[in-house]
Amino acid sequence: MGRIVLKSVTKSFGDVEVIPPLDLTIEEGEFAVFVGPSGCGKSTLLRMIAGLEDLSSGSIEIDGQDATQVPPAKRGLAMVFQSYALYPHMSVRKNIGFPLRMAKMAPAKVTARVETAAKSLNLMDYLDRKPADLSGGQRQRVAIGRAIVREPAAFLFDEPLSNLDAALRVGMRLEIGELHERLQTTMIYVTHDQVEAMTMANKIVVLRAGVIEQVGSPLELYHRPRNTFVAGFIGSPKMNLISGTQAQKYDAATIGIRPEHIDVSMTEGSWEGYVGVAEHLGSDTFLHVHGSGVSEMITVRISGDISVNQGDTIYLTPQSDQLHRFDAQGTRIP
Amino acid sequence: MSDRKLPRLLQSPAVLLLLVWMLIPLGMTLYFSFIRYVLNSLRRPEWTSPSLSNWRGFGNYEFVLNSKDFLFAIQNSLFIVCSILFLTVILGVLIAVLINKSFPGQGIVRVLLISPFFVMPAVNAVLWINMILDPVLGLQGIAVANLNDLAAALRDAPVIGWFFALWPQLEPISFRATQTSAYAVIIMVTWQWTPFAVLIFMTSLQSEDQQQKEAAVLDGASSWSQFRFLTLPHLGRPIAIVVMIQAIFHLSLYAEIEIVSRGNGNKNLPYLIGEFANNNIGAASATGIFAVILANIVAIFLLRMVGKTLME
Ligand SMILES: Nc1ncnc2c1ncn2[C@@H]1O[C@H](COP(=O)(O)OP(=O)(O)O)[C@@H](O)[C@H]1O
Ligand SMILES: [Mg+2]
Repeated sequence: MGRIVLKSVTKSFGDVEVIPPLDLTIEEGEFAVFVGPSGCGKSTLLRMIAGLEDLSSGSIEIDGQDATQVPPAKRGLAMVFQSYALYPHMSVRKNIGFPLRMAKMAPAKVTARVETAAKSLNLMDYLDRKPADLSGGQRQRVAIGRAIVREPAAFLFDEPLSNLDAALRVGMRLEIGELHERLQTTMIYVTHDQVEAMTMANKIVVLRAGVIEQVGSPLELYHRPRNTFVAGFIGSPKMNLISGTQAQKYDAATIGIRPEHIDVSMTEGSWEGYVGVAEHLGSDTFLHVHGSGVSEMITVRISGDISVNQGDTIYLTPQSDQLHRFDAQGTRIP
Repeated sequence: MSDRKLPRLLQSPAVLLLLVWMLIPLGMTLYFSFIRYVLNSLRRPEWTSPSLSNWRGFGNYEFVLNSKDFLFAIQNSLFIVCSILFLTVILGVLIAVLINKSFPGQGIVRVLLISPFFVMPAVNAVLWINMILDPVLGLQGIAVANLNDLAAALRDAPVIGWFFALWPQLEPISFRATQTSAYAVIIMVTWQWTPFAVLIFMTSLQSEDQQQKEAAVLDGASSWSQFRFLTLPHLGRPIAIVVMIQAIFHLSLYAEIEIVSRGNGNKNLPYLIGEFANNNIGAASATGIFAVILANIVAIFLLRMVGKTLME
């Protein structure tokens, strides 16, 4: 259950085409993450899958059935919204049970299912509270609980963690990952945060302006980005993209090298520069190197033990086997 | 001077003014309600000026309580207020939900809907009772007469004639009559105040969270369930506010009652006060005190209700 196929799906708002024809298959049980900058059409795509937004053309299949004209409630998909979208006048119990009540399930069965879900989400103590009396993380869990009880064919998440603080976000990320492990249900997760995408996904779909730039596993995207956009978007800190004469040396319009793939030396190397800002994370230090003549700024990751001062002269050598080459259109040269 | 005294001191003129504003009329009313005080009396000219020597104790209250109109006026006050509240809230919610959807000509429709609220109450009453509800010259009379004519004409028609032959002769309703004048007042005030309710409900509807609606759609809620479980609870607070404001306004209805039937068969407490005040200020004041008590009971009751919704 939960194979979703999009066939030349498009979406326009008036004259503005937000999603040009797009094909995509999400396999059963997959954790797919749509990632891309804000406004690239991730939410629109998700809402089209959910049925909240009509397609301008194309079709959507869920489990082999054409679902393009099927009303949202009948698609068997559950969605978790960024704002949680809890029903403010209902207790947590009523919120979680609402979809079951709408499906006219017997009250005893509703209670049983709600309590099972609440137990698995650590919500037993809060069942009689109203959403307003819960913390952000608890609200998020209620929203997830409301999705779980429906036993949907697939879960849709629209930036579910972006209203949480950083610490909570890491925790919830794990919880959602565990949920997927446990249920093995298809999940589609939308985020603009590539760290979330890298940590959670089986399959990442990178979007730019409604166009799929690349689909693949996190490591595929990391090691073999198909173009400069994906190369710059995936990985933190960002890949250094260098064009000009240095790139020509490698027969490319642009070369890319990740900060963690540059060797640093105080005495010798291919590129010479001086240290600008140094970001100390403890385990690692990110150095911004200027004045190398290669590129305005190159970011390098070095071990946190090495001490460098601002203004120090430094030599950089890219690891040639980790170098990415791109042509004038920005496409990867194999 | 401590931190607290200065703000208190600065507030005091306003508080004093409000106290004086409230206490002087209330005190005078109380005073008049315990003495014999009339505007004209040939027999007892000493009653025509207020004085403690005319002390009557609870005599005025007794007189008012025993007057045949008093209980009726209280009942009628409550009947009119409750009916108006009931109708305006129901109509207000329905209309607000209806025009909250986007449709062509939305702006004009909204302005037209609000406009009754800007008509003066007396003008409203005159228009309704003379031009709409009048059994002969008003729209009602014309409509009834035309319906009767139409039925009479169709009675002889082939095939469908038998159906119209079953119709009785329709009688127009005289809204100035004893039995119906309260209904006239309810109709015209409802017409005037429904826009107020619509306005408040509409602003509230526009602040309704759309994602909650979408979540409900995905959860399989029908339009009715969305209205019942999301929109209606969302409107709880504005409904409470509309009820409270209107209750306080409509307890003191006067112009409409005067214009429709001059209180014939349809009095409320303010109207009764007006009648007594034609001559007997003492009785009018006692009635006024009763009105204050009634208003307070209603207000406490409503404040509880509103308070509860606001707490949620
Ligand atoms: N209802 C709408 N009407 C018009 N334009 C819209 C609407 N919803 C989204 N858009 C536009 O579509 C684009 C994609 O939006 P969205 O899917 O919300 O982006 P994302 O979720 O990736 O940040 C944006 O440029 C946005 O302005
Ligand atoms: Mg979005």
